[in-house]
Amino acid sequence: MLEILLSQVVSGLVLGGLYVLIAIGLSIVFGLLGIVNFAHGAFFTLGAYLALTLYQYFGWPAVIFSPILVGAIGMVAERLLISRLYNKEPLISLIVTFALALLIEASVRLIYGGIGQPFSPPPLLSGFLIWGPVLITKYRFAVLLTTAALLLGLWLFLEKTPFGRILRAGSRDPEMVGLLGINLPRVLTWVFGLGCAISGIAGVLAAPLWTITPAMATNAIMPAFVVVAIGGLGSFAGAVIAGLLVGVVIALTIQFYPPASGAVMYIFMAMMLLLRPRGLLGERWERFE
Amino acid sequence: MTTMNTGLLLPRRKLLAGAAAVAAAPLAAPHIARAADPIKIGLLLAKTGQIAGQTEYLANGSFLALEQRNNTIMGQPAELVWLDEPSPQAATQNMQKLVQENKVCAVLGGSLSSNALAEEATAAQLKIPFVCDNAAATEISGKNCNRYTFRLNTPVAVQSRMLAPFALSYGKKWYHITASYAFGQDILRSSRALLKAAGGTEVGSDEVPLNTADFSSFILKIRQAKPDVVVGGLSAGDLSTFLKQWNELGMKGTIPFVEIAIGDTDIWAVGPEAATGTFTKMWEHSNRDNPPEEKAFAAAYLKKYGKPAADKAWMGWITARSLFESIDAAKSLDGMAIVEGLEAWKAPAGDASYSYRKFDHQMLARNLAVSVKPKITDKWDYFDVKATLPENPADIDKVFGTEEEIGCKMG
Repeated sequence: MLEILLSQVVSGLVLGGLYVLIAIGLSIVFGLLGIVNFAHGAFFTLGAYLALTLYQYFGWPAVIFSPILVGAIGMVAERLLISRLYNKEPLISLIVTFALALLIEASVRLIYGGIGQPFSPPPLLSGFLIWGPVLITKYRFAVLLTTAALLLGLWLFLEKTPFGRILRAGSRDPEMVGLLGINLPRVLTWVFGLGCAISGIAGVLAAPLWTITPAMATNAIMPAFVVVAIGGLGSFAGAVIAGLLVGVVIALTIQFYPPASGAVMYIFMAMMLLLRPRGLLGERWERFE
Repeated sequence: MTTMNTGLLLPRRKLLAGAAAVAAAPLAAPHIARAADPIKIGLLLAKTGQIAGQTEYLANGSFLALEQRNNTIMGQPAELVWLDEPSPQAATQNMQKLVQENKVCAVLGGSLSSNALAEEATAAQLKIPFVCDNAAATEISGKNCNRYTFRLNTPVAVQSRMLAPFALSYGKKWYHITASYAFGQDILRSSRALLKAAGGTEVGSDEVPLNTADFSSFILKIRQAKPDVVVGGLSAGDLSTFLKQWNELGMKGTIPFVEIAIGDTDIWAVGPEAATGTFTKMWEHSNRDNPPEEKAFAAAYLKKYGKPAADKAWMGWITARSLFESIDAAKSLDGMAIVEGLEAWKAPAGDASYSYRKFDHQMLARNLAVSVKPKITDKWDYFDVKATLPENPADIDKVFGTEEEIGCKMG
């Protein structure tokens, strides 16, 4: 039993890692821009489809350009659309980003068709790793390592670089940052692009595991919202802890009561919101209260 | 000026009266206006979600069937009006909209069993003929049947009976992994009964929520249970994801996988490296035994869409054809006349024929048992046809079950 439980926990950590990546982008965009981005899952889908296209034309190494392209598309969307939503009613940003999500999904459907696209892990990463009772595929282990490295890099970027400090300051008091002579609108464009690019990375990593379809965002966006709600809106560490927890809880639910595996994260979220409405590590944000 | 006006133009009062008469003409002679209006057929198929890959082909097949008749029914222009079916509740609302606002005379659709079960009840309530082209839940033409509903796909219970010998050939220790909605639950019920009758053992069973993205935890459980065969009951995108991860976790080739009612689009999304299993399905575009009409359909589809017709395209085509030809035969848009037309409809199918059975409105059509080819060289051609079921066309009525076994009471 211990063998299967350990394997399930590892499996849950991989799934949780993907959820963390999707949720982090969402959390950063909300924390710094104050926008609840319903189109976030659509950028995840774009990441997967662009990876597939780049792979088909240029081979595996080209896949790394997918998140960069997704980030660039995100920046264009921010300039044309999202930037007009700052300081507007939250409901307007929800409706506009939902419309953007539909637009992206419809565009993907138009270009690639509605059926799923085949895409497998690279041959280099086929096979298993077995450590005692734990079994994990090489590709999933690579996903876990990539996620950990990305999160570390992102944390260092936000905490230790001048640009990161501007971002954090701008999220708390954008007016003061503007008064210090910093071009905040440009910073916000980069932040939105960064959030989209991270979602794109999650899409690239998930593409060989999930079925690539125009509707694949459905499987990404809801868990991302749940993770952000459990971890605390705008909290980096909260999203990481919550994402991994959600992944492990789902995996263990599958082991003991599979029919509840789809609902368990929502139960988890409801309990968290009842016990601690700001989430695990959520703080009081003067801007939004 | 004045002389010219009075000489050449009608007095204003007469002009206004004439214009009013022209505007009111359709009201005074409604039969003339109706003759010019196109005949409308509703198409109720999901436009988004995990089943959308299949419905794209179902719709393409139906549109092609109409196009092959020069977009006419009973010699009049005809059109398909396509609305979404995102959930059972929304599907019934859209069916009402099709009937009450779009004035359709019949509806084609029902991509998921949960939707189709709701839609067939609405069809009976609205007294509108409904031809279900994809859903396979046994109850649709079983205990939930009604006079206005016709169904193409072979019921789950029948397909399970057809697949059971293939599953039993691998052994009697089965593991079930099924979707936790009508289709999957139906498969689980049928498969368990067949396994029990064969004296086998269920070594594990998991019901999986729709739109599950990660099956690794389920696969770890199957791996630990060491069954002889896994009997699946997953639908569309979920089946594709499962098979991808089944291969990724090294299970392909170690434990056989079987499932009923696979769609071509499901396996095309898996990819040649990961595809595996034995399945039942209704039609295969590369089957050399296809009758000439179906070969012509496959060629027309390839010409129009630039890719081979998936089985779902054929399903959309044959159901639409049955409806259009039945309306032609009925020579009427009256609901009951169309129902009677469908009950009498028959089309040749090689050495057999297609028709809807009178007592349950289930189409009698043979199925194929297919296995994924050992080596896939064509991205559209994944299957070897293992058998046509039942092998003897004369057995088809028996295989689909007797009136007592089906339990359909139309009233």
